[in-house]
Amino acid sequence: MDFLFTEREEMLRNAVRDFAESEIPQKMADMEKTGDFPIELLKPMAEVGITGIITPPEYGGVGLNYVARSIVLEELGRICGAVPMALEVHHMACAAINDFGSDGQKKQYLPLLSGGETMGCFAVTEPTGGSDLIGTKTTAQLKGDKYILNGRKCFITNSHTSDFWVVIARTGDGPKGLSAFIVPKDSPGAKAGHKEDKIGLRGANTGELVFNDCEVPMANLLGKEGSGLTIALKTISETGRTGMAATALGILTAVYEEVGKYASERELYGKPISSLQAIQFCMAEIFTQLEICRLLCYKANWLKDQNMRCDNETAMAKYYTCEAATNAAKKAIEIHGAYGILKEYTVQRLLRDAMVTIPAGGTAEVARVVLSRAALAPFKK
Amino acid sequence: MSFQGLPWLPLRNDEPDSLCNNIGKGMRKIVVCIKPVPDPTHWGRMKMDEGSGTLKREGIPIIMNPLDKHAIEASLVLREERGGEIVLISMAPSSAVSILREGLAMGADRAVLLADPLFAGSDTLATARVLAAGCRFIQDVDLIFVGNQSIDSATGQICSQLGELLGLPSVMHVIGLESENKGGMIVTQKIEGGYARLRAGIPIVLALRREVNKPRHIPFSGILASERKEIRVLSSTDLDMAPGLVGLEGSPTKMAGVETRRLERPCERVKGSAREIAEIITARIHEYGII
Amino acid sequence: MSKNLYNGIWVFAEQRNGLLHEVGFELLGKARSLADQSDWPVTGVLIGSDVAPLAQTLINRGADSVLIAEDPLLSPYRLLPYTSVWEQLIEEYNPQAVLIGATSMGCEIAPRVAARIGTGLSSHCVDLQFNSEGHLLQIVPGWGAGAFVSIVCPDHRPQMATVRPGAMKASKETPKSGEIRKAAVQLAGNSIGPEILEIVKEPLEAKTLRKSEVVVAGGWGIGSLKDWGLIEDLAHVLGGAVGATRPAVDEGWAQEWQMIGQSGETVRPNLYIGVGISGVMHHVAGMEQSGHIIAINKDPDADIFNVADLVVVGDFKEIVPLLIEEIRSRKEQW
Repeated sequence: MDFLFTEREEMLRNAVRDFAESEIPQKMADMEKTGDFPIELLKPMAEVGITGIITPPEYGGVGLNYVARSIVLEELGRICGAVPMALEVHHMACAAINDFGSDGQKKQYLPLLSGGETMGCFAVTEPTGGSDLIGTKTTAQLKGDKYILNGRKCFITNSHTSDFWVVIARTGDGPKGLSAFIVPKDSPGAKAGHKEDKIGLRGANTGELVFNDCEVPMANLLGKEGSGLTIALKTISETGRTGMAATALGILTAVYEEVGKYASERELYGKPISSLQAIQFCMAEIFTQLEICRLLCYKANWLKDQNMRCDNETAMAKYYTCEAATNAAKKAIEIHGAYGILKEYTVQRLLRDAMVTIPAGGTAEVARVVLSRAALAPFKK
Repeated sequence: MSFQGLPWLPLRNDEPDSLCNNIGKGMRKIVVCIKPVPDPTHWGRMKMDEGSGTLKREGIPIIMNPLDKHAIEASLVLREERGGEIVLISMAPSSAVSILREGLAMGADRAVLLADPLFAGSDTLATARVLAAGCRFIQDVDLIFVGNQSIDSATGQICSQLGELLGLPSVMHVIGLESENKGGMIVTQKIEGGYARLRAGIPIVLALRREVNKPRHIPFSGILASERKEIRVLSSTDLDMAPGLVGLEGSPTKMAGVETRRLERPCERVKGSAREIAEIITARIHEYGII
Repeated sequence: MSKNLYNGIWVFAEQRNGLLHEVGFELLGKARSLADQSDWPVTGVLIGSDVAPLAQTLINRGADSVLIAEDPLLSPYRLLPYTSVWEQLIEEYNPQAVLIGATSMGCEIAPRVAARIGTGLSSHCVDLQFNSEGHLLQIVPGWGAGAFVSIVCPDHRPQMATVRPGAMKASKETPKSGEIRKAAVQLAGNSIGPEILEIVKEPLEAKTLRKSEVVVAGGWGIGSLKDWGLIEDLAHVLGGAVGATRPAVDEGWAQEWQMIGQSGETVRPNLYIGVGISGVMHHVAGMEQSGHIIAINKDPDADIFNVADLVVVGDFKEIVPLLIEEIRSRKEQW
């Protein structure tokens, strides 16, 4: 058993921390104001290897594992949660195409994603909800050599910053009637619709995709007809949930640092408030939560890297870390007193960002439902 | 005693241009001197040992001296233009391997660590002697880059001393660098109230300021590549250095003592008419050495 | 070693285009007081071409004698010929100590000369004294609050030190007589190093907050954009940068990048002057490590006074204009 990061992983963490600290802060005011992803960061991120971190080198990526990806997303999230939020969805597109795409599709699309030519997008959720995959209503009908898509996807991260989207649509009935398509944004009948105005993770662009007799060539079918459910579940669980967990872990780290700094600097009755036991207990709690979340997150990623089943672990890591970050951020605002509610202080953003991680990629309730099945399985009579 | 008996290249030439002994051949080796320094985030915790006057560094993480990243960046740009091999060099304890690895991840080709207990306590001149010996060991060096100063001690002496000990010209305060077709360099040097533009031949030692470039971020692929790059550790024996020239013994400057001068802020109240107050403040600003 | 007129304390009188750098006078001021403790004479060293007319100024500023090295190759300044001159002068006259201003030129020359001679050099001294053994104590800032380290060079001569401009008080000019000697220097056949293509003068660059030696900051108490001009004028006359508190930035008197405090910049200048600033914790955290702190506020209980060296209770609108005037006139005097 080994709980230590390797030298390579430590270097990776330092490198991405350096990148995040020097490139992101100056973009944050704009992100908060406009709700747009700072697209000009995409190329620099590609140069460093962030966009293509899990993509194999033959498709322009770095070919690192999920533990490495989690380190990168966590460090970006420590500075600004919106950036890893957008990237983790980008990585979902990379993973789906790499795991299920034909060689031609990989050669065509992966280098664009690795090279930062565009962001990746993975569209499952519909107005009726994201967790009910079987209830997907968007249809894809084969007509001649084209699929005709009709329907609407919502809460789609990178909806307006991607040149092509991985879209789940119905080609038949039931669980086996779902398929995945790579839909270029300029396909006839496709458009990015409404842009959402979120309370947090504002720099991650979220919006609608609308398909109105949208024509997609047959060659854009990802995997086989009917493999949509597998593609969606595997990608959401392994790439999506680990990504959201890492994002929240980064936010939680930022909360811990903000509170620690504030409590040691802020003086009350001639002493820093960190000398008060009430504050000390809060710090101990956040400190412990941080460690719990790290262990959960990295274990889930480690299992994925060993090619072992990890759906329960990614669900635990995702729901627990997102809740822990939110709870810690709320506590942090209280510790900041009146400063906590000022926009110039970071903690209020951390709370807004943390809250937005909760529904993204499946709510905590859905995670608990899924986990309860695993928890009760040994006792089933 | 000094290293002057062993000039690497003769200092005294008839023509300054004869220093450009490598015109049109492309670069051979570019040496970048790098230094591990205590991470400024932890400076609040750093104290001096009152007895020895040395810095208590235990538990303080080290980072690469920030200006050294600019030096590595300059070498990478130059290698793209003119080829050559980039060799990092550092006189430091073996813990500095992490800093060298970082430089290799940025893109340098290999690294040499000059580590020996005998080097401990070296002042700048003794350090420059070790670095000069390291440069001679590497051989065929056309260019040496250093940071203009380190953030911890900020003495800014290595560039000139290394140049002197190697018998090479040197330029400090470099804020601009262009490669010339015929093999030399156009160097922009910051001076008071402006700058000087110089045409320099190679080999030469240049000390860079942060204005010279923006260091690249370490690419992840560079981290992977760095794992296959060589970090060679050399001792004083490998460098054939006499013990009397390095370390505490070989350092002409010695620490004589440490004193603490700061008091609590006096919160001294100034009284009088506005005119009198202005006079008192002015006198005080003068005492502080500002005007 | 027996003393003669030229083997005492040397001061490099840096000049460009026939203009002496102020730091030379500051070093002469310090050398004079060292000389008075030690009996070592003070020699000003002038290097250039046609620099002889500057020699009398150095005598008047406290040098007992002046050594002049002139050659066409020495103008404009070039590192290698200058180093060669220093080597020849030191070998000929064996000075006890050499003091050099930490200017762009001095920072380059001093280490090169020290390496050539094989002697010690300390950089950026804030003070110089002789100890009981007659060695020059070179005092430099150390680590930790207010720690200073003294450095000696016991076994090698000369003892060399650089001193930052402004760190020492310049000597005043008093007409007197002294020996002025032209030294014979031999430069032919030596490398002169890089070729100088051009020397370009630039207007004073705008200083960033963090790098400035002086920061003048204003707060809510300034009250209007018009009066904010006083803050800028005061910073200007001190060659410093303008900082601000959050409220002053919000009022539009200053820019976002000028904000000092927890959510802005942390500054550590030699001198911080806070005007109309109450001193809330989040601003204080960004400036309390400044070398010297002067606070001007009309509220006698302003928190900022607790972290100030010099506390001024009063109306800045009266005090600051007089202060600017006073600094201006004193700068001309000193």
